[in-house]
Amino acid sequence: MKKNIFHTIITHVFAWAFALIWILPFVGLFMTAIRPYDEIIYGWWKFDNFTLTLQNFVRAWNHPTAALSVGMRNSLLVAIPATIFPILIASTTAYGFSRFKFKIKNYLFITILILMTLPQQMIAVPIFRIMKEMHQLDRFLGIIIVHSAWAAPWIIFFMRNYFSTLPIEIEEAATVDGASDFVVFFKIVLPTCIPALISVAALQFSWVWSDFFIALILVFSPDKLLATQRIPLMRGVYFVDWGLLSASSILVMAVPIIVFALLQRYYIKGMVGWTLK
Amino acid sequence: MVSLFKNTFIEKRTIVLKKKITRLSFLLPTLILLAIFILYPAISTLYLSLVTPSGNIDPISNYEDVFGRREIINTKGISQGFEFPLGALLHNLLWIIIHLPITTFLGLILAILLRDVKGNAVIKSIIFLGMVIPMIVGGLIVRFMFDKYVGIIPSFLNIFGVIPKNWTIYPETALFSMILGSIWLWTGFSMILYSAGLSTIPQSYYEAAKVDGASPMRIFFSITLPMLKPITTVVITMTVLWELKIFDLVYVATMGGPGGSSNVLALQMYLYAFRQYNFTRASVVATILMLITMLVAIPMIKSSKGEERS
Amino acid sequence: MFKEKNLNRQPIVGLFVVLFLTFFILSGIFVQAQDAVTLTLIHPWSGAEWEQFEPVIKEAETALGIKIEARAIRSEDLVTLLPTQWPAGTAPGDVIFLTVPSLILKGAEEGHVMDVTDVVNPGDFVPGSVGYVTAENGKVFAAPFAEGVKPGFWYRKSFFQKNGLKEPTTWTEFIDLLKAIQEIEGIKAAIGSGNGTGWPLSDVTEHFLVAFGGPQLLNELASGNKSEETWSLVEAIFKGWLAKLIGDGYFSEPIEWTTAQDMWWNGDFGLFFMGNWLTAMVEDPSDLGIFPIPGTKGITGAIDFLTASAYTEHPEETKALLEWLSTEGQKVRVKFGGTVSTYRSVPLDLYPPAEKMLAAKTSEMEPLFDLDDVIGGEFQTTFWDQLKLLWVKPEKVDDVLEVIHDAYLEAF
Repeated sequence: MKKNIFHTIITHVFAWAFALIWILPFVGLFMTAIRPYDEIIYGWWKFDNFTLTLQNFVRAWNHPTAALSVGMRNSLLVAIPATIFPILIASTTAYGFSRFKFKIKNYLFITILILMTLPQQMIAVPIFRIMKEMHQLDRFLGIIIVHSAWAAPWIIFFMRNYFSTLPIEIEEAATVDGASDFVVFFKIVLPTCIPALISVAALQFSWVWSDFFIALILVFSPDKLLATQRIPLMRGVYFVDWGLLSASSILVMAVPIIVFALLQRYYIKGMVGWTLK
Repeated sequence: MVSLFKNTFIEKRTIVLKKKITRLSFLLPTLILLAIFILYPAISTLYLSLVTPSGNIDPISNYEDVFGRREIINTKGISQGFEFPLGALLHNLLWIIIHLPITTFLGLILAILLRDVKGNAVIKSIIFLGMVIPMIVGGLIVRFMFDKYVGIIPSFLNIFGVIPKNWTIYPETALFSMILGSIWLWTGFSMILYSAGLSTIPQSYYEAAKVDGASPMRIFFSITLPMLKPITTVVITMTVLWELKIFDLVYVATMGGPGGSSNVLALQMYLYAFRQYNFTRASVVATILMLITMLVAIPMIKSSKGEERS
Repeated sequence: MFKEKNLNRQPIVGLFVVLFLTFFILSGIFVQAQDAVTLTLIHPWSGAEWEQFEPVIKEAETALGIKIEARAIRSEDLVTLLPTQWPAGTAPGDVIFLTVPSLILKGAEEGHVMDVTDVVNPGDFVPGSVGYVTAENGKVFAAPFAEGVKPGFWYRKSFFQKNGLKEPTTWTEFIDLLKAIQEIEGIKAAIGSGNGTGWPLSDVTEHFLVAFGGPQLLNELASGNKSEETWSLVEAIFKGWLAKLIGDGYFSEPIEWTTAQDMWWNGDFGLFFMGNWLTAMVEDPSDLGIFPIPGTKGITGAIDFLTASAYTEHPEETKALLEWLSTEGQKVRVKFGGTVSTYRSVPLDLYPPAEKMLAAKTSEMEPLFDLDDVIGGEFQTTFWDQLKLLWVKPEKVDDVLEVIHDAYLEAF
């Protein structure tokens, strides 16, 4: 008995201590962001002078060449369509893979699986050229299309697996009653998939928001830069300091963190779900 | 009679045709999107890697060229007793060798440890936070963590008498600082997956083992570990894939420096393509990355394919 | 009865609508007419530097009777932006500031930049400056505006006074000065090494090259001279001077340059190498002193050139703006400090005191371009990256030189 209590206490202490240490970098970032730069120049853990200020956030928000206000708006303009669009078309396709029978189904599916493993580098240069031809370089539509195409394989995979777990009887009954595939899918199946769709949306939105590589290649007009691109810009150019950088970082990462906080269950189910089964 | 038969027949044909078109419209948009924007570019890059700048198909010379480049494999650094820079290829390898076992193992330990801890949801969220934030911010935090003046790690080590220095600007520590940082960022993934996996192991197994008088160690090795094997495959695959694709982190923390000491393949590919405008070399590197990732992903693909046959 | 009321209303409503439409159309035309004299000016400045430049724009608007819409785009961004916009027949503005002559000349060759020979008189500007943007056929494609120069090592006069230090006049005195500073209590290193993406480390390096190799060395390197002699001179300077001083500990390790500047001002370092814009970035410019490595005859810098886009809708006004900015505009600009004029007719008295001291010291020096800016591309990235390595591992100077040399050869 005693051993158990001792054991439990030790475990709890260790676990919480571990968590506190683990979160230290974020604490440091936060500290650096809310204090004026000259106070933390030798370390944010020095508390001799402690002034709270929102100055860093304001400066990051309105920065003359890398304003986060614009950056975050741009990121939203890209991330929201790039979440809705692929979910729409890829889920429909996933349903097709799940319920329809056609000859090349397996070959197509394997191709899609293979596409899922590609690194983004593999499409970087040709995508740049294609977007140039289509005059979508430096335009949000271009980057939305790329993100949608990139998301399609894994959404197909994920949703197909999800559809396969749904009992087919309901759909069959509806078909017998004369409902077309569209009706069956959109009116009957999809409404029951909301949890899965939310998982997909949470993940996809976070990933598009956090993307840097595709944005780096396709977007370069200063007022079109996305939030993630603004951060390296703030380093190593003219007047730069850790206060500004940490405030910007917090603003940019706040969005996916909020999504995670609100949709945590769906987020994790999404991650666990699609990599496992 | 005949007309009746004809009508039903034509009706049926039309219905079947309509159905086929409907079904096609389910699949076609996405497939076209994929074909144009993923499949075609991938094949195009592959092709580019096989064609020399002058237009002949000569993959060997292309690959030879790239592998011989100092930024990919630095034979001088290797021969001088593994002094950085070693070349992007070796840097990625090192990343895998160090990062993979630690995050996998750590994630597992944490998953087990936190099973019965009160408030483990909060702790797990804290650890998982690294996976949620954009990697570009992650890279900035790493740079921040290891800074001589404002970084916690040099100052912490100072307690033990280690002179603080900026880890990201010295060739021998630049890569390691980022690897350590990436462990902090990625461990949440394996932990969450293992947590999920642990919860699927039936309690009855453990009960039975306890009744049999098995020690915790024994239980771990004979029950827990084997049952977690499929998850371990996934964790390892995804982690390696991620390690190969690292770009944002390095871009903002060191930009591959100093002197290429923390360069990675993904970054070098970008530099070849968009700084040097040498698309052949870039495509070679991209293809190499693709081949390695496909190789690594095969076991996982096989198991996913086998699963769904309904 | 109902119907009748409506019938009466209709003409009034109709009149209203017609009046409204007319007003609308007229205002549209009016607005269009106003738009006709708005030019877009692309510049690279932000923060304090923008505040120094804004008055110039206001003066230009008054003097020329036009409206100017200013947008900030950094030089680095323009270098990637223009090559994509130009072929499409567009440019982000009418007058565009550019610091890279090679890009300007390339744009000129392909017809994206206007010929401004008729509004730029080379004799009006610092010798050599216009030459950088003159094509082989003798036509000029840009006008010089202000230049940022990297004159040498800055120090605080109060710091020198307190410690009995003097500006060096010979190489030996320079070393002695470094030694003396190094021994002062509280000093972390004699020279604070600021670093951003690779400069100012590259500025310090080039300063050493000019100091010991003379301006002709930099000119040879800029034009792609691949001879053994030229390179061995570079190697000798690196090994004998730069790497040696770093190895002896006189340079601090690279620190983000804004932090390094603060630390230098606080007394952690004695000297700080920075461009002339430092004068506008310290709290007390009158405490500033500066000296180059003794005997330096050339000074590296970057000239902000004004270019006129060939795709402008108002070529005459654009050229007029360009001409005004490069002449009268510079007179306005120097009053706000932090820069040196390329227009020779700017009287010294217009400068604030610290800049006046600087201008006096540097007026004899031949203006040169940042080597890494001139060559650009992969060379610049490699050069910067290797210098980062040299600064923390000076013993690896041979490897560093080898890599830089290879990158140099590949660039030409």
